[in-house]
Order: sequence, then structure tokens, then C-alpha cells
Amino acid sequence: MKKNRGMIVAFVTPALIIFSIIFLYPIIRTILMSFYKIENVTDSMSEWSFSGLANFNKLLTTPLFGTAMWNLFRIWFIGGIIVMSTGLLFAVILTSGIRFKRAFRAIIYMPNIVSAVALATMWLQYVYSPKYGLLKDIFTFLHLDSLASIQWTDTNHKFWALLFAYCFGMVGYHMLIWLSGIERIGVEYFEACTIDGANKFQQFRHITLPLLKGVVKTNITMWSVTSVAFFVWSQLFSMVTTDTTTITPMVYMYMQVFGAGNAMTERNAGLGAAIGVVLSVCVVCIFVLTNKLLKDDDYEI
Amino acid sequence: MKNFKHAPINWKKETHLLPGYIILLIWVLFTFMLLGWVICASFSTTRDIFTGDALRFPTGLHIENYIKAWNSQNVSVFFTNSLVYAAISCALLILIAAPCAYVLARFTFLGKKAIQNGFVAAMGVPAIMIVLPLFCVISQIGLLSSALSNRVVLVFLYIGINIPYTVIFLVTFFANTSRSYEEAAAIDGCTPIKTFWKIMFPMAQPGIITVTIFNFINIWNEYFLSLIFANSDEMRPVAVGLYSMINSMKYTGDYAGMFAAVVIVFLPTFILYIFLSEKIIGGITAGGVKG
Repeated sequence: MKKNRGMIVAFVTPALIIFSIIFLYPIIRTILMSFYKIENVTDSMSEWSFSGLANFNKLLTTPLFGTAMWNLFRIWFIGGIIVMSTGLLFAVILTSGIRFKRAFRAIIYMPNIVSAVALATMWLQYVYSPKYGLLKDIFTFLHLDSLASIQWTDTNHKFWALLFAYCFGMVGYHMLIWLSGIERIGVEYFEACTIDGANKFQQFRHITLPLLKGVVKTNITMWSVTSVAFFVWSQLFSMVTTDTTTITPMVYMYMQVFGAGNAMTERNAGLGAAIGVVLSVCVVCIFVLTNKLLKDDDYEI
Repeated sequence: MKNFKHAPINWKKETHLLPGYIILLIWVLFTFMLLGWVICASFSTTRDIFTGDALRFPTGLHIENYIKAWNSQNVSVFFTNSLVYAAISCALLILIAAPCAYVLARFTFLGKKAIQNGFVAAMGVPAIMIVLPLFCVISQIGLLSSALSNRVVLVFLYIGINIPYTVIFLVTFFANTSRSYEEAAAIDGCTPIKTFWKIMFPMAQPGIITVTIFNFINIWNEYFLSLIFANSDEMRPVAVGLYSMINSMKYTGDYAGMFAAVVIVFLPTFILYIFLSEKIIGGITAGGVKG
């Protein structure tokens, strides 16, 4: 091992240095920042003034941040249920022995590789368009005129329009994770079940679901991590800063710190850091909770 | 697989699966409608789009939408920027991550576990946790003032945020390759470092290609950091550029041009996907995501 020491150091160091600059140092500094009042992001540490938990208190009492957190929670929870169940349904259909499995799988995953800005624009400017939109055409064709006349991007419907469009793009990825889980379950389990006279639904309920625990964990973790960073979609659906129907914590932070043309709000970078800490704590809690609730040591595949 | 395709259709089984087919077909049809319409609209005119004739081309194909978007709307600038950023970042990412991954997969040393866990944890860190200090330090040093250093900053950031994923992906890849090559090379008197660059690195090509595709797509679509760190239009990548273009489109009302710009932005990753979808999907399920 000794003669390899030089090589180990030489090979690990570059990656480690970049990792420290991009992740380690900024994370520590962000946590510190959340306890200080900082007028400007670019202020050096000597200009910070310690304010204890004031930033977190301020967040708690800011209605707009409450709205942002509530929106994020709905995206995470309702969107999560939609994406997970649709993804699971597709994965089950794909593994039931249908033809063109690869083609279906590839097409369903496809929206994930498209730039979110492009995808959101397609939805906003085409699907939801009140003049020539896809939804309007479909509902007119089905003679559901009350549905056809809905303005999908007005204040009342915007959030749900956003959520649905976002879910459409995310289903493919989580379907793939479900698929990898289902395909790892040995065929012999299902064969044994069929011999014992269990139908497809019973097989799903008693074999597939319990053996998917590990995959459920992966799915929830990945979903939470991407949800927390919810930003582009929200910014595209509400292009004016005064429009807060689709605001999320990331957007709020961006407005606070980088002052998106809004001179009225008081700028405080410490507040932005506090938002980051709150979101990270949420992710860690979800992670710990899912690990506690879903111990996957009781089954062996 | 080939034989299976020519097998006679078992109608009873297919009828049983019919609900499944219908659900998938509706979804696929919707996806095709979405993309197809946008592509058609990009060849149409704004007037035809508004009268609902985007799919009929009453006035013929309008390729000039693309020419206009490419030339006057800065799309060419954004496009070249993204291409250059992505190419440089992807190459450097491999040069930095592959050696690190190899060492992590092959040797045991003090702190190895900590480094690996650190990389895995970093994959779950939201950008909001790192962006403030980075912005502070980078603007204090004055790196955002000149065009060249601003570009270098962007490339450095793209490399940095993708390092953890790239390393972890390649660790699983190297761990699955046989040790016999290195043993043979060692007997022939080859030093470990030379063995890596001459034998293991070329052997890892399939994994390197897969992870590079992912990195390319990630960097091409990256939005948040580019929004904050790209100071002006001339150095913006496509995602941010498209956003500012859509914003200005509200005033010009050139919808056909906007759809052309959308198509230009999503085309590179889309074409990549058409040719490499099996590899991409395989990479996601293989071990790239371990939670």
C-alpha cells in the first residue's frame, strides 16, 4: 500500500479540492450566515452583525414565506402522490409482458432530458393557451364547453396548471426507479404465486409492493431533493414578481437576496441563508423519517 | 428477443393487457402532440398559430423563423456558449473524476469512507445552500467583472456541482472491472499510475461515455447557477437565454419565432436521446442513483 500512497494523494486531491470549494466551505458558511444580519451578499464577514435566531423568527412571521412553504409542501405532497402512483402504474404495465416495452419506456422518460425552460414554455404557450391550446381543443372536441373555457393560467388555476405540467415531466424518472426495483424481483416468486392461484392484483399487493421498500426510499429521497430546488417552473409561470400564486422558497430567496427588481423589500442575505437551512433540515428530516419507517432488512431479494 | 418478435400474437393475452396499452398510448400520444405541435408551430407564422392553423401550414413552411431566431434573437450566442461550456466541463470532469473514482474503488486508505459519504451527501444538497457564499467570494475577488473570467467561473461551477455524481457513478463502474489487468501490468513492471492511464482509463470508456452524456444534459439544462452567475447576454447559456427571450417575446409578439427558439434549445439533448436512449436509461437504473 505504501508505494501507492503518492498515487492515491495525486488522484484524489483535485476532486477533493473542488468539492471543498463548491460544497464544503459554502455549506458551512451558509449555516453561519443564517445567524447573522447581512445587508449585502458581498459583504465580508467583518460587516456581518450577529442576530441569533432573528432570521428564522422573521421567516416564521413573514406571510409570503409561509405561502412559499405551503406551495412547496403541496408540490411535494400532492405532486409526489401523483408522480409516484403514475410512475408505479406505468412500471407495472411495462413489466406485465406488453409489446414495445422499450419504445414506451423511452418515450415516457423523454421529457426529463428536455430543458425545463423549454418544457414549461411548451405547456404555458401551447397546452394551456386560451386561444389555440391543446386542452381547449380536446375539451371542445369532447363538447365539454365549461372545461374548454377555463383560463388555465389565471390566478385561480395557475398553481394546479403548474403542478400538473411539472408532474408530467417527472413521471418518467420515477417510473424508471420503480422499474429497476420490479425487475430485480425474481420471476420465481410470481411463478410460485401463479401456481398457488394468486391473481395479478394479489401478486402485486403481496409480492411486488413489500419487495419494493428499498425503491420507495430512493424514490422519496430523490423526489424530495428535486422538489426542494423547485425554481424554474415557478419563475416561468409567474413572470411578474408581484404574482405570488406559484412562489416557492427558492424564488423567495432569489427575490430577497438578488432583489429581482423589487426595491420595496429590505435586503438581507442572512434571511436567504436561513431559508436554505430550513429547506435542508426538511430534506434531512424526510430522509431520516423514511429510513426509520421503511427498514428494508426484513426482506432479502 | 428477435424470435419473440416473430412469435404469433397471443390474442387472449393481448386482450388481457389492453387496458395497459390504452393507458400508455394516451400518455405517449399526448407527448407526441405536445412536441409535434411545437415543432409544427415553429415552422408556421404567428397569425396561423392564432387562427388554429399551425398544423395545416396554409402559407407554407417558414424556415425564416429559425434564421430570425438564430440571428436576431441571440440564440446563436446562447447556443455556442452552452456548447463550449458543456464540452469543456465534460472533458475536465472526466479528467478530474475518473482518477479519483478509480482510487476510491480500488484502494483502502484513511478517510476513504468519509470522502465517499461526502460525495453521496453532496448529491442531495440544494443549490440554495451553496450559492450565497460562492457569489460572495467570486464577486469579492472580482471574477465577474471581465467576460473571460466570468466564463471560467461558469465552467468551474458546472464542473464542481457535477463532481460528486460523476465520481460516485464511476466508482461503481471501476469496482465492477476485473483486477487481472492491473496484476498483469504490475508483473510487466508498469507503475500503477501508468497502468491507470494506459489500461484502466481506456477500459472504462463505456462508463465514461454514459456519465458524460448525463453531464452534458445536466449542464445544457442547468438554470439556477447560470441565472445568478452569468452577468450579461453575451455569456448566457441557452436555458437562461431562452428565459430572457421569452420575456422579450411578450412585447414583440413573435410566437412562431419563440417556438423556433424553444426547438433550437431542446434539439441537442433530444437528438442525443434519440440515438442513446437505451444507454441513458441503462445508466439511470444501473447504479447512478443509489439515493
